[in-house]
This record gives sequence, C-alpha cells and structure tokens, in this order.
Amino acid sequence: MPPAEVRSGTAGAGAGAPSGQQAPAALPEWFTSKKTRPNLIVSRWVPLALVGAPVLVLFAIVVYPTVWMFYHAFQNTNIMRLFRGNWSYVGWENFETVLTSERFWDSVQHLVQYLVFGACLQVLLATVLALTLYEVVKRDWVRVLFLIILVLPMMLPPSIVGVLWKFLLTPSNGAINAALLELGLISEHIEWFNAGMSLWSIIIADVWNWTALPLLIIYSGRVSLPPAVYEAARVDGAGGWLVLRRITLPMLKEVIAIAFIIRFMDAFKFVDLVYVMTSGGPAQTSELPTYIAFQRGIREFEVGEAAAYAIIIFAFSAILITLFLRYLKKVLKAQGIA
Amino acid sequence: MSEANYRLVRGLLLAFLGLWLLLTLFPFYWQIITALKDAAETNRTVPTFWPDVWHPRNFKLVFAEASNFQALVDSFIVATGNTLASLVLGTLAGYAFARFPRQAGGENLAFWILSNRMFPPVAVLIPMFFLFDATPWGTDSHLSLIILYLVFNMPLATWLMMVFFRDAPRELEEAAYLDGYPPLRAFFKVTLPLVLPGMISVAMLCWIFAWNEYLFANLFVGTEVKTFTIVIPTFTHGSQTLWNLQMAFSLIAMLPPLVLFVLLRRYMVRGLSLGVVKG
Repeated sequence: MPPAEVRSGTAGAGAGAPSGQQAPAALPEWFTSKKTRPNLIVSRWVPLALVGAPVLVLFAIVVYPTVWMFYHAFQNTNIMRLFRGNWSYVGWENFETVLTSERFWDSVQHLVQYLVFGACLQVLLATVLALTLYEVVKRDWVRVLFLIILVLPMMLPPSIVGVLWKFLLTPSNGAINAALLELGLISEHIEWFNAGMSLWSIIIADVWNWTALPLLIIYSGRVSLPPAVYEAARVDGAGGWLVLRRITLPMLKEVIAIAFIIRFMDAFKFVDLVYVMTSGGPAQTSELPTYIAFQRGIREFEVGEAAAYAIIIFAFSAILITLFLRYLKKVLKAQGIA
Repeated sequence: MSEANYRLVRGLLLAFLGLWLLLTLFPFYWQIITALKDAAETNRTVPTFWPDVWHPRNFKLVFAEASNFQALVDSFIVATGNTLASLVLGTLAGYAFARFPRQAGGENLAFWILSNRMFPPVAVLIPMFFLFDATPWGTDSHLSLIILYLVFNMPLATWLMMVFFRDAPRELEEAAYLDGYPPLRAFFKVTLPLVLPGMISVAMLCWIFAWNEYLFANLFVGTEVKTFTIVIPTFTHGSQTLWNLQMAFSLIAMLPPLVLFVLLRRYMVRGLSLGVVKG
C-alpha cells in the first residue's frame, strides 16, 4: 500500500484545492519517471510492496510446499516418521518403487486414454461446433442463446457433474440405458461401471462437462478474425469449403493450439470426477496418477512415495506449462496485446 | 465442391449442433424431473421420462436435515472469504503490474504468478495437509480452505486486474495528480472506479470457482466444516441413494453460479481461458 510519504512527491503540483490557476502544472516525478532513481523511494518500493504481498503468499502456499515435496520424495517418510521427525534419506528408492509398480503404468495408460479420447475429442468437437455456430447460425440472439446453453455444464461443481452422470449411467434403471433401449440402439443394459467401462463413463461425463471451454476459446477467436479478408475472398469468388480450408483454419491455428494445450494441462489435474464417480475402481481400472498420489499421500500416509508421484506429475506439467507460456507470449506479442 | 453439396454439409452441421444442444440439455432435464419425483418413482426398474406424481416437497425435505443448510452456509463463508482475499491482493498487484511494469518485476513475474494457476495441485496439497495439521486451526476449518483456494484464485485475480488497469486510461489518473490529488486519493477516487466493472466480474468469477471447488474440500474438510460439494455425493439412506433429494439439493446449490454466469458471460471467456479452471 502506498505509504504517506508519497505526498512529498506531489509537492510541485500543490496539495490545495484543485483549480485552474495552479501553476506550473507538472506531474509528480515518481509517476512519470520510467527509470528507477535512488531518490525516488516511492517509485521503487511501492510497486514492489504491492506485488510483494501476493508473491509472498504464493511462496507460502505454493513454493514452500513444492520444495517440501521435492525433499520428501528422497526420504522414507510416512505418517509415523513424519510426526516423530526421524525420516531418513533413501535416494531414488521412492521413484524406483513408483516406476516399477504396475499400478503406476496402468494409471499412465488410463491418462493416455483420457487424453486421446477426452481432451482431443473435446477440441475436435469444439472446433466443429464453434465454426458451425458462427458460420451457419445467422441470427445473433440465437447464437447467444446457443452459447449460453452450451456453456451451462461448465458452471456446475464437479461433484454435481459426477453425481448426475453416475445417476444417468446407473446400469439397471438409469436414464441413458433406458433411452438407448427405447431408441433400439442397444438390446441389453450396458454395465457402465464395470472394469474396462468405468473410465469411459468418466470420459463421457468430462466431455459433456468441458467441451464448452475449447468451444468458447475457438468461437471468440473466430469472432475476432478480420471481416475484410472474408470480403476479399467473396469478391474473388472463393467457395465456402475453400474459405474454411485456406482462410479460417490457418488463421485459427494458434487459437486451436491454445485451446488444445489448455485441455492438455487440465488433464494432469483432472481427478475430481474419478473421486465422485468411481473412486478409481473397480479394481483400480479407472485410476489416474494424480488420484494414486492423493490416495498414497493423504489417505494412506505414505508421504515419500506420494511425493515421488507428485514430482513426476509436476515435471510433466512444468514442461507443458513452460511451452504453453512461451507460445502464449509469442501469440500475444504478435497480436500486440502484451 | 458443388453448391448442392455445400448446402447438404451445412444442413448436416446444423443437425449436429442441434443434437449436441439436446445432449447438453438432457442431463439438466433429468435432474429437474428427478427432483420432482417421489423416492419410490426414482427407484423403479424402468425409469419414467415424465413424473407420474409431482412431488415438489423435495425442495423442502432437503432442508429437514439442518446439516444440508449448514453446508450451503459453509460454502458461502469459504467462497466469500476467499474472494475478498484474492481481490484485495490481486487488485494491488495488478495495479503495480499495469502502471509500473518494470519496477514491479516485469512480465516474467506476472507470467510466473499466472503459472501457479496451471500447475496440478497435487504437489501443493499433500504438504499443505500436513502443514495445516500442525496449525491451531487444523485442516478441517474455513480458514484452511480460504487460504488454499488462493492457489488458483489469486493468480487469476492478479492477471485479470492487470489487464483491466492497463485498459483504463492513464490520462485520467494524470489529470488527478495535476489537480493535486495525493496518490491514495487518486487511486481510490479516479482509477478504482474506472476498473470497478472489471473488478466486480473478477469477484464473481473467483466466487464461482471457490463455490464449486470439490477436490481440496474433499481432502481437507469433512467433520467440522462441510461444503455442499462434499455433501452432495453422500446422499444416502441406509443402502439406498435418495436421488430425488440429491437432485433437488444440487439444483439449489448450482443456482448461484448459473445466475452469476448469465450476468457476466462477457468476461467468462477471458477468465476461463486464462487458465485452466480446475483448482
């Protein structure tokens, strides 16, 4: 917060009642100055103080825990040793335990399945839907109405989404099975929560829940494309297909990429529907790495092993996030925003 | 591609969009009619797509259990407390980033703050569990959730407020200084009112995210404090799930975010695409 001394900086303009004849009108130096100067205490310390508060908070609640995690990934910590304070260094043993366990590699396989059929499918669907919505639907209020409907699922808490889909997919008397039977698409009930099927159920719920996010991003990208280009294409007599392939998609390339990366990064956090819908079951067939990390750490108190899980996940997302931010900066620069 | 073909493709796309809209709406429809059925009807072997008997009393029955209402109160306390904290910190930092970018650490620091929102919380939550356990208030309290939710809400607030302050014309603030306003007064009388609409929308966004949060609450609280998000999956009576009450309660609980969303849909894209909504 700006301290009281800053008043001295405004002395040149006078602190009296603002009026026209106050001469000479000059901005306080700390405000206009682009350089940091030693005599301008305010210009140097006030911004630092303002930014410092959130940075300190982030250090306390993000950086410190992360460092703690890195430390314990190399210790044989569990709940007993944690409270007695007698854990000891074990080197890479925790990582070995994780990387040689079948449970981990199964969960990686599930994650890949989720990425391919969840995240990729969502971006694909979102591209088709967003462009259809913009190009084919002509009335403005209809578009807005459709957009609102499409985005509604995203506003629900994950626990409601999970419960709702668990209810819809109930094998014996759920709505989905009943509707599919009625329409003649299936001849007997699908066991949605059996081994092998439960992960698909989670993916279905997630597609319903999150397709709207890439859709919104791509739609707003399409809205901001310059109409002049399309005018020129029309004058040149280019057909709809050609315009889509040669103009719209190339110009939306970055936006679609951003939507895709965002969904990709989300996948590494995604775990709440697993908790609500299946708890990783049956027989661990719908577990994701994040889920195992929480189970091992907070439910079973194998802190060291959980830390190893967390570090592996953390490293993957760190790479993704660095790439993403670099890309985002480039795109923002190109558009003159940042 | 010929004109007739093109028209056919358009028709197909439109049909697909229509189908998707129906699929989007169907779960909501099911939720609403289930909330209006009685318990026996929700457990029939062949589900009914239109209630035989209307049973709107469910919405009252939900609150027969006092803990359900208390859960909404707990969620409200956590969401509001967290929103206020995020907003204060985010506004100050956002102002510094927008007005004094170089002195405030530059865009790298801004990007670093934003990146905190994108990291998976797994590396943070497990240590925080044991750290909060050692504090006087423990893990199972409003305060622990209010602090934890800063992990995803404060970076968002900082970044969005930075954008809003940057968009606010600097000239007006300069004019205030020329008129002899001291900095604090210029900030509160001139700059802050300019970004107030943006600030309100940031507050609403943060509030929605904190209200909806499930994962942190599931792992950290549950006895003393129960947010509605962790109460909803546990609606059982004996071995039977009370679907109608569960759906009625979730309809009530999801109303606030839906209303807020319709109010601020203009800002939604910006807020959501900045990263990765899940906590």
